Amino acid sequence: MGQQDQPEELVMRFPAFSFSLVATASAFASSSRPKFGGRLGKIILKRQHPLTEDGSAEGSDPPVKQTTEHIIDLDTPNFLSTTSRGVVPHLSRDHCNSMSALRWVHIPFESFLDHTPPVPTLQCGPNPLHTFLGFSTSKQLLSLSLRDPLDAREMPPNGNTYVSANCIRGVRKVTLADWHKYTLATRPDLVFALSDIPFTPLPHSQKRITKSIERSAGWLAEFLRPHKTVTNSAPTHPLNILVQMPGGTSAAAREAFARGLTETLHDREAEAVKPLRCLDDGVAGYAFDLVTLRAGPGPADDPVINPSANQLDAPTEVAEIKEASTLLQDSNLLAGIPTPSTVCAQELITVAAPPLSASALSTLLRSSLAPLPPTKPRLVTGSCSPHEVLELIRDVGVDVFDSGWAVSAASAGVALDFVFPVPSEGLNAKNGRLRLSGRRDLGHNIYDTEYAHDFARLAGSFAASSDKSTALPVCPCFACSPPSSSSHILHSSVDEQSYSPGGEGDLGKAKATIQPPVTRAYVHHLLHTHEMSAHTLLVAHNLAVLDAFFAGVRRVLSHQTADGASEGQTALPLPDEITRFLDAYDRNMLVFDEAKHAWLDVDRARGKGRLAREKGKESDGGSIEGSQ
Amino acid sequence: MQFEVLAKCHTTRARVCRMKLAHGVTMLPTFMPVATQAAIKGLTPQQVESLGITLILNNTYHLNLRPGIKVLDEAGGAHKFQGWNRNLLTDSGGFQLVSLSKFTTITEEGALFASPFTGEPTMLTPEESISIQHSIGADIIMQLDDVVSSLTVGPRVGEAMERSVRWLDRCIEQHERSGRKDVQNLFAIVQGGLDPVLRDKCLDQMIERKDRVAGYAIGGLSGGEEKGNSLIKQCADRLPVDRPRYSMGIGFAEDLLVCVALGVDMADCVFPTRTARFGVALTFGGPLNLKLGKHTRSFEPIDKDCPCPTCTSGMSRAMLHHIVTIETAGAHAVTQHNLVFQAQIMGRARDAIIEGRFPDYLRTFFRGYFGDKGYPEWCVNALRSVGVDLLDGREVPVIPGSGAKWEYSDAA
Ligand SMILES: [Zn+2]
Ligand SMILES: [Zn+2]
Repeated sequence: MGQQDQPEELVMRFPAFSFSLVATASAFASSSRPKFGGRLGKIILKRQHPLTEDGSAEGSDPPVKQTTEHIIDLDTPNFLSTTSRGVVPHLSRDHCNSMSALRWVHIPFESFLDHTPPVPTLQCGPNPLHTFLGFSTSKQLLSLSLRDPLDAREMPPNGNTYVSANCIRGVRKVTLADWHKYTLATRPDLVFALSDIPFTPLPHSQKRITKSIERSAGWLAEFLRPHKTVTNSAPTHPLNILVQMPGGTSAAAREAFARGLTETLHDREAEAVKPLRCLDDGVAGYAFDLVTLRAGPGPADDPVINPSANQLDAPTEVAEIKEASTLLQDSNLLAGIPTPSTVCAQELITVAAPPLSASALSTLLRSSLAPLPPTKPRLVTGSCSPHEVLELIRDVGVDVFDSGWAVSAASAGVALDFVFPVPSEGLNAKNGRLRLSGRRDLGHNIYDTEYAHDFARLAGSFAASSDKSTALPVCPCFACSPPSSSSHILHSSVDEQSYSPGGEGDLGKAKATIQPPVTRAYVHHLLHTHEMSAHTLLVAHNLAVLDAFFAGVRRVLSHQTADGASEGQTALPLPDEITRFLDAYDRNMLVFDEAKHAWLDVDRARGKGRLAREKGKESDGGSIEGSQ
Repeated sequence: MQFEVLAKCHTTRARVCRMKLAHGVTMLPTFMPVATQAAIKGLTPQQVESLGITLILNNTYHLNLRPGIKVLDEAGGAHKFQGWNRNLLTDSGGFQLVSLSKFTTITEEGALFASPFTGEPTMLTPEESISIQHSIGADIIMQLDDVVSSLTVGPRVGEAMERSVRWLDRCIEQHERSGRKDVQNLFAIVQGGLDPVLRDKCLDQMIERKDRVAGYAIGGLSGGEEKGNSLIKQCADRLPVDRPRYSMGIGFAEDLLVCVALGVDMADCVFPTRTARFGVALTFGGPLNLKLGKHTRSFEPIDKDCPCPTCTSGMSRAMLHHIVTIETAGAHAVTQHNLVFQAQIMGRARDAIIEGRFPDYLRTFFRGYFGDKGYPEWCVNALRSVGVDLLDGREVPVIPGSGAKWEYSDAA
């Protein structure tokens, strides 16, 4: 490899991110706010890999012969999937890689701060973050932020050169230099610059807000210094950077920060980020953290939800391990280890977050965006309902949201059941309970005993792929449309007999067809027995419903263009469809609160009830004839 | 059921069989993962099937409580309810009844217990156990037996054995009346505690009923003990060759292989899935506790040769260390691996038996699994009883009790 190839290779390993606006609502519907309003866009990520002669993407010892280009494109409006400790909650890797709804996955880095250096920074290969977390470089775009944007707990103040972040062993101070180092080592597709967002008790003084925007701008400038990691190369800015827009609930501060981004830099400042003309030139997109804009940071521990109560399997697990103590050496040491919780406290708190008035929120976001070019993607984390999402699309023109609330719903036992646009024939009882407001639930609290004998698929608004004659859209999730197991691990030379024709018993024929959907009655049973599979199925389903929702928004937006109209589509303009949606579905999301309470009730029943006391002694089954 | 012996070990009593049930062919010997509540912890049925698993177990006691027989009937049985297309086995519910409720009393009619929901006295008769299992619809169902702890001594053991035979007759009658004999297969459970004389008596009576039962389970014993294994041998030696033999509640790797060598075809245990939730991955080099600090920076998979989705995805021990016992996805990843490990142990045993090298396989396995930590004495003795010397000239410590201490914690 020639010497001049080296820097090129390094640069190549950071993918190229681009965003283009396909159409905006203002282009076809006269609007007083041309900069804001629903818009269609396309995010393209081009990833190049050096290829060795044998075609394997890794290793640089054999000379690099060619590159392979992975293009991930993502139509907007769309959503990113949130993660916890680097995993999409409740989903295994094979599920993640089979789900079309997972195209943009966001990784909060702070859970990795419990070791120094953080372990993912030690991962080898051209895409360390993808490799470490097991995401596909050809299917998934990964973004990285230091803090979890959905975590509103109170934190110690940030310093002039560091942000206070949280990991399992406590608070860690992460400096700008640290963050730069972690980013370069893990090579995410997109990275959030550090912003000084206070997680200290409200209210924040004017002085604190001013400090916040000054620090954030300074930190961004520092982050934009050209990389000196490669010799013999021109300074480059290979990172795709998102900026979390500071300023809290002060519209003036938000606007001031945004103006600062576009100001032409001079002298020493210009020299530092050369060849960028202004900070905004080095920014790929703008991010808004709604969690901090709502009630502000809450106390670290929610008094209502006791975190230890979230250890779904804790009572039985401890009992189990005791019972096995004659079999499992040193098992008493294991008993102290916490078991996986299927619902984390923070998720429940997110669901409970009180919505800030939509118009107030839109005003704040527009204050930040007003001075900035409209051509970059706008990302919102911490949205709490599809209603809010639609309003932010309509009133601001936000392009990307997160899946947090839909995942929380799954953790709480809610199967989402809503579509956009609302079907012209309206909704019926199959789609969710009608509230006094005249609006229907966004989904089903599957804990409710009304589902114990309900053998319908999870969502009435969607068909299963096994449904033959239906006009409904198909939910592609593995709960509604389970794929037949196409391959089986063979453990011996005679195992093929289990899979050859005739080896499959009377289901031999059924095997060839699509599997029937998972029923509400089954998930109801899994929730009441605290089986983790309940949450796995619900997360997959809810993400698919969310995916379909955004596809619906894009369809309505595209119908407003000449192309869409010529296809004879009858959809109303976006604002009208949004109004229909707001009128049809309950935005108070009562069903979420009910599910949350049902979940705690089941937990209490298991912890204190009579059945639970009996169960406390059980080892979780098996034909344990012999293992007493 | 179609049952065929395909190959026999030239030295031990191990054999490879093909068992065809209403939901397909299962190759034996096999390990059955336990789906107590109609779900394998966190996995979908499709995932379990893709791991190469063709037979799982549901617990009758639990399914009878939740979702209950009415729901199962409405669903059309447990297969449809949980979306599992392959073979399924249910126990009788008797064991949990006795072990989970101290108020349970055994009468000749059945097991009298306090309903966990209402506290009302409730009777589980052999007939009722069978009809509950008919509603569940498993391919293999078990007789209700009179269970006593293996620690019990005295006349109660003999009484329980004799009652289990009488209850078997009632189960057979109930099963034959139902007209479901062609789709569901009833297994008898050999009882008799630790008393070889009682075991023989039980075997005599149950073998007499061979034409009316599809297979036999060996009950009331656990793995990992000298005495139990000589009784498993006694039972396996005498049970008819043309019926599958099922050893209940066995799941540690060394126990499984000893049982296979003694002539057992099927076993089940919650251990591999339960230990996965505590972060312990099973490997041919012994169990790995992924919670241990030493895995923090380990970028290798649990086992680079393992065909499971976790290992083939390249998921590192470091990543697993980060999530096990905290994220459910960590439990899923290790559960997938452990189920494949159990299936691999048995799959390799099938190949070794067919290829006439099962004794070698046993020696290789024990060498890899226990290394120089020492072999459990009962394993050495049990395998000697079927003609395999694990030590075979090697200098390995032989440890009384269950054998090596595994790395279950940082302190160990
Ligand atoms: Zn679905
Ligand atoms: Zn594996």
